[in-house]
Amino acid sequence: MKNLLSATLVISALVFVSCSSDDDQPIVQNTVEVPSTYKFMRDSESTVNFDGQTTRILMAGQTANAFTDFDNATESSLLAMFNHQAGNIDFTEADLNASDKNLRSKTAASYDYFFTNTSESAEIKATFENYISSQVNEVFPNIMVVATPGTPGQIADGTRTRYVSAKGLEYNQAFAKSLLGAVMADQILNNYLSAAVLDDGNNRENNDNGITEENKSYTTMEHKWDEAYGYLYGTSANPENPNLTIGEDDKFLNEYVGRVNDDPDFSTIAADIWDAFKLGRAAIVAKNYEVRDEQVAIIREKISEVIAVRGIYYLQAGKNKIVDGDRQGAFHALSEAYGFVYSLRFTRKSDNSTPLFTKTEVDALLNMLMNSSNNGFWDIAPETLDAVSEAMAAKFDFTVSEAASL
Amino acid sequence: MLAGWFFLIKILTMKFLKIGILLAIVAASIAACSSDSDSPEETNDTFDRGAMLANWADNIIIPAYSSFNSKVVEMESATTIFNAMPTVENLQSLRSFWKEAYVSFQNVSMFEIGKAEEVRFRNRLNVYPTNVAQIEDFIATGNYDFALPSTIDKQGFPALDYMLNGLAETDAEIVTFYTLNSNAEGYKNYLKTLSQTISSLSNEVLTSWTGGYRDTFVANTSSSASGAVDKLTNDYIFYFEKALRAGKVGIPAGIFSSGTLPQNVEAFYKKDISKELLLEAIDASVNFFNGRSFNGNSTGQSFKTYLDYLNTIKNGENLSALINNQFAVAKNKANELNVNFIQQIETDNTKMLASYDELQRLVVLMKVDMVQAFDVTIDYVDADGD
Repeated sequence: MKNLLSATLVISALVFVSCSSDDDQPIVQNTVEVPSTYKFMRDSESTVNFDGQTTRILMAGQTANAFTDFDNATESSLLAMFNHQAGNIDFTEADLNASDKNLRSKTAASYDYFFTNTSESAEIKATFENYISSQVNEVFPNIMVVATPGTPGQIADGTRTRYVSAKGLEYNQAFAKSLLGAVMADQILNNYLSAAVLDDGNNRENNDNGITEENKSYTTMEHKWDEAYGYLYGTSANPENPNLTIGEDDKFLNEYVGRVNDDPDFSTIAADIWDAFKLGRAAIVAKNYEVRDEQVAIIREKISEVIAVRGIYYLQAGKNKIVDGDRQGAFHALSEAYGFVYSLRFTRKSDNSTPLFTKTEVDALLNMLMNSSNNGFWDIAPETLDAVSEAMAAKFDFTVSEAASL
Repeated sequence: MLAGWFFLIKILTMKFLKIGILLAIVAASIAACSSDSDSPEETNDTFDRGAMLANWADNIIIPAYSSFNSKVVEMESATTIFNAMPTVENLQSLRSFWKEAYVSFQNVSMFEIGKAEEVRFRNRLNVYPTNVAQIEDFIATGNYDFALPSTIDKQGFPALDYMLNGLAETDAEIVTFYTLNSNAEGYKNYLKTLSQTISSLSNEVLTSWTGGYRDTFVANTSSSASGAVDKLTNDYIFYFEKALRAGKVGIPAGIFSSGTLPQNVEAFYKKDISKELLLEAIDASVNFFNGRSFNGNSTGQSFKTYLDYLNTIKNGENLSALINNQFAVAKNKANELNVNFIQQIETDNTKMLASYDELQRLVVLMKVDMVQAFDVTIDYVDADGD
């Protein structure tokens, strides 16, 4: 025991020595500063490109909206939107129809989490397809029926009408809020910002030597970073300066970075995330991979935080409505919360490669939300919503009440 | 690059300035209210909430619902007469009963509590603009269920407005929809169902008050979020902010959109009563604030007497007097408006905006200062829009 302890001490001392000696010497020459905007040029040509991400955000928006297009949508038309094939007329815009990109292939498809975990990836893809099938097969037939416990249909939410499952879940909300985890967050945190992807093959060597991709202005590493950027800012009014309209540019991660940033308890989060994206990209240009990786850690921490904060916010908003006696008015918030809780699976610890929430943990929370009583949201207890909120906040250094305020 | 920096810094500075100002205001208001509430409230708030609830129920709410219900019953009979004999004269008669009931509704719309809350009374009776395309679709198919939440913009007074005033230019032409039209029966049925639905909802709410809810309400003197004072205070302010300030004035004047929305005025098809409806709603609000009985001039315990009991002072003046003065200012501004809000918006929208501003000042006095004095928590938030 004593030997083991001293061995550990020796090893950690060695680690410290080696770290600090690294720090001292070579990197001084390529210090990096945060650029004012996300604008990067090579030979007077922009090196930033994230078309594919913009396309997928737009596809996601149209697909989520089509869930309540009761007159036109069918199970097969919705599934075709989710798994679009180039040339098929699935969307209202020609650009999207012509695209060879789709959502399904990027759902639970990050290198770090799913490359050797295809069974879970398949299970997650099936969850999204089930939202579609359930919406069409359960909710569509009942759109002119008032929902009751065990029966899908309409509920009133103020002046809005919502369409819910037998358990009170709005499948369109579950789909959209789960997608922002399974596609956007997963691709950013666990794929494009993954060391395995950024440093794949000769990426470092090519980046060090300024070798760009064939017929492109960017190095592969630069492009991978930009693709991460595009999943958050791909539909921004001004992608070079996206925080001018943060929260207004999509219904997915961009929206909720904006909403969480509106909460005074988290009022720097949008700036923190954008600064890290800018600095990390500048670090790649400066070939300073240490600074780059520090920014990766920040982005992982903050985007994970956005998902948890917003999830707790909706759980508490739903709880408050139930306590006030407006249970059906709570279903919309709880449906959003359900999707955010699902998205926790794709969040990530900033300091290492493991998920913040394991699949088992997330499944347990989802189970508490949907199966702690016979009829889901129709009879879920406020205490259960508090328990789920607390379990989420416990992984972070903010409280439930900080997340719930605004 | 440098320019970009400056731009960013400017934006950030503006943002911080704004936040700074906001924080200063919040800090100031917290300081102000804590000094107010230190003295009377927490230690010895023995104001008789039960007496206030009884005054509200017995002298205001139940008489207002009784009066409204009698107008609605008259409107329903006039509908039956018109359907039996669809003439211009009977149309005009029905229209005047519709108008009386619509004006009377302004006196009960704020009481969204108990049965009214359960049946979503205001949403069932007064969501506008009404959805004409779907009304026509319902009439054509004869297939509709007003209990469905998705039908709130195809029923109530605004749908009747369309059926009685909006089908055509002249009364003679309107009558033909109920006589010569190939689906005249469909129009008559829709009209009848609209009237009957309002009548049965009104009856349901009134009977609930007279059949036991009154006692439950008056006995619920708890000063918690579920207490009747807390709940009705919230309902009243929510109504004033959303239905009166925003619905009647702000939304059509374009406060919440990039352009004006004249099609969103209340009683869009009748055109010349939107001002009357607004003034009636303001009167009902000020009367409720002062605890004035519905059928007379006597007053009882109310928001006003509660504030006076707490001796609530703002900027050296009684808060209750500030609120009453502001009600007078708001009413004067509203009085300057054209009887037809569509014309007002299209000719001089600044008058609408000025009217909105005065109502907005009332919202601040009540939603911030008054509820703090009462130690009531606002229980609603603005929805995030999806």
